[in-house]
Amino acid sequence: MTSSQCQLARFMRANGHKSYLNVEGLHKSFGALEVIKGVSFDAGEHEVVSLLGASGSGKSTILRCINLLETPTRGEISIDGDKLPLKQGKKGMIVSDHRALCVIRARLGMVFQQFNLWAHMTVLQNVIEGPVQVLGLPKDQAIAKAEALLDRVGIAGKKDNYPSQLSGGQQQRVAIARTLAMDPKILLFDEPTSALDPEMVGEVLGVMRDLAAEGRTMIVVTHEMGFAREVSDKVIFLHRGKIAEEGTPDVIFGAPRTAECQQFLAKVL
Amino acid sequence: MYQDLKFAASDGVCAGLSPVSGALFKKFCPRFIDGFAVTIELLVLSSILGFLLAVSLVLGRMSGRAVLSWPANVLVYCFRGTPLLVQLWIVYFGIGSFGADGLGALWVFFKNPWAVGLLVLVLNTSAYVSEILRGGLVNLDKGQMEAAQSVGMSWLTAMRRIMLPQAIRIAWPAYGNELVLLMKGSALISTITVLDLMGQTRTVFARNFDLNTYLYAAVFYLILAGIITVFVSVVQRNFSKSRLS
Repeated sequence: MTSSQCQLARFMRANGHKSYLNVEGLHKSFGALEVIKGVSFDAGEHEVVSLLGASGSGKSTILRCINLLETPTRGEISIDGDKLPLKQGKKGMIVSDHRALCVIRARLGMVFQQFNLWAHMTVLQNVIEGPVQVLGLPKDQAIAKAEALLDRVGIAGKKDNYPSQLSGGQQQRVAIARTLAMDPKILLFDEPTSALDPEMVGEVLGVMRDLAAEGRTMIVVTHEMGFAREVSDKVIFLHRGKIAEEGTPDVIFGAPRTAECQQFLAKVL
Repeated sequence: MYQDLKFAASDGVCAGLSPVSGALFKKFCPRFIDGFAVTIELLVLSSILGFLLAVSLVLGRMSGRAVLSWPANVLVYCFRGTPLLVQLWIVYFGIGSFGADGLGALWVFFKNPWAVGLLVLVLNTSAYVSEILRGGLVNLDKGQMEAAQSVGMSWLTAMRRIMLPQAIRIAWPAYGNELVLLMKGSALISTITVLDLMGQTRTVFARNFDLNTYLYAAVFYLILAGIITVFVSVVQRNFSKSRLS
């Protein structure tokens, strides 16, 4: 552990923060290429943690390891005390219990860069699909809930449209509503504004800002530095598959210690 | 009941057509209509059963488990790699040659050319349809599956609710093509003594040696092709409302 990590852990204990998401010694290789080289961090309940770094630094891969869209090569991840069901296979780790994984995934909400709305379903069908199929919620309840969520993200008028009839910003707001419909414990955002036209970034960030304000636990991979600085409780700067620097936004953006972080911020700010 | 209905329909159609039909058609009209009905029955049954089997086959092939994917792959390879005629003859004459003693209770099935014809058509079309569906599945964006899994759907639920419905939409034109091919291929079951449209046509020809007999058969097959084409395009129009991005 670096000294800053120690300080932070002390700070969190002192403030009664419970570690909600814990990532320990995470490694991920694609073939011979090691993308994540031992990353450990945690996120407390109601915390917003931003993962920053140049492209290729491994931030999206870390996020995708948290809900096992990528299987880590080594390491441990636990969510609210439940370890992700992984065991050692012949080549790296494999999922040991698919049912347990589905249960954990249902508690993690993922918002993708490319929205990934289901193209054959209307907006409303997209939002009720998870609650009905996975949580077993009665359809009328799911619809009532979905309509409230769509109203909240400002898409209520489009509920019978198909995804391809919506703008990127609207699609991403629907994707957020779809994720919220599952009542997730942690929200994972994988560069949610990177595929958007500039004029649509604001509407999506606005929704995310509201979510942070209501105390959601969020892990955000983003290139929106202003947003990260404003809403994050903790910022993690990644460089070549390792955590180069970690701390409060004021420390990372105001007084970065490492040369990599300084260079990165000089480029993007 | 169903037979009565068929006879009534046959009588009605033949009576209706009699003012415009030539001597040959007038004489054998009930045979053509009866064969036409048998062909339609076999097509409806084999396309529905074949589709269900194709879905099972493609799930097996995509499951990533060797115990499931290996047999499914072998079946698809064999039925796509051999002529339908060969398949029909192997099952009907080949397996059938073991007779009642060799086949025991199965003899009831294998002595029935209609049942054997249906079985082979189902297996044959399911091999092609599973390949068509697989093509649709592998062309879907990877994010569709990831989004399904990330809300906690199991692989099977994701396939059933998210992946296959989209694969079918993508593969629909190719599937329509397979339906027409199945219709034309079904004529081969007349070689195992089934009196389908082609079987009846051959019987009629054997009675009068008038080559016009085959023209009548061609007209009936064209009518069927027209029905299939309309069905496929109506469904297609329905699908395109959802405009896959």
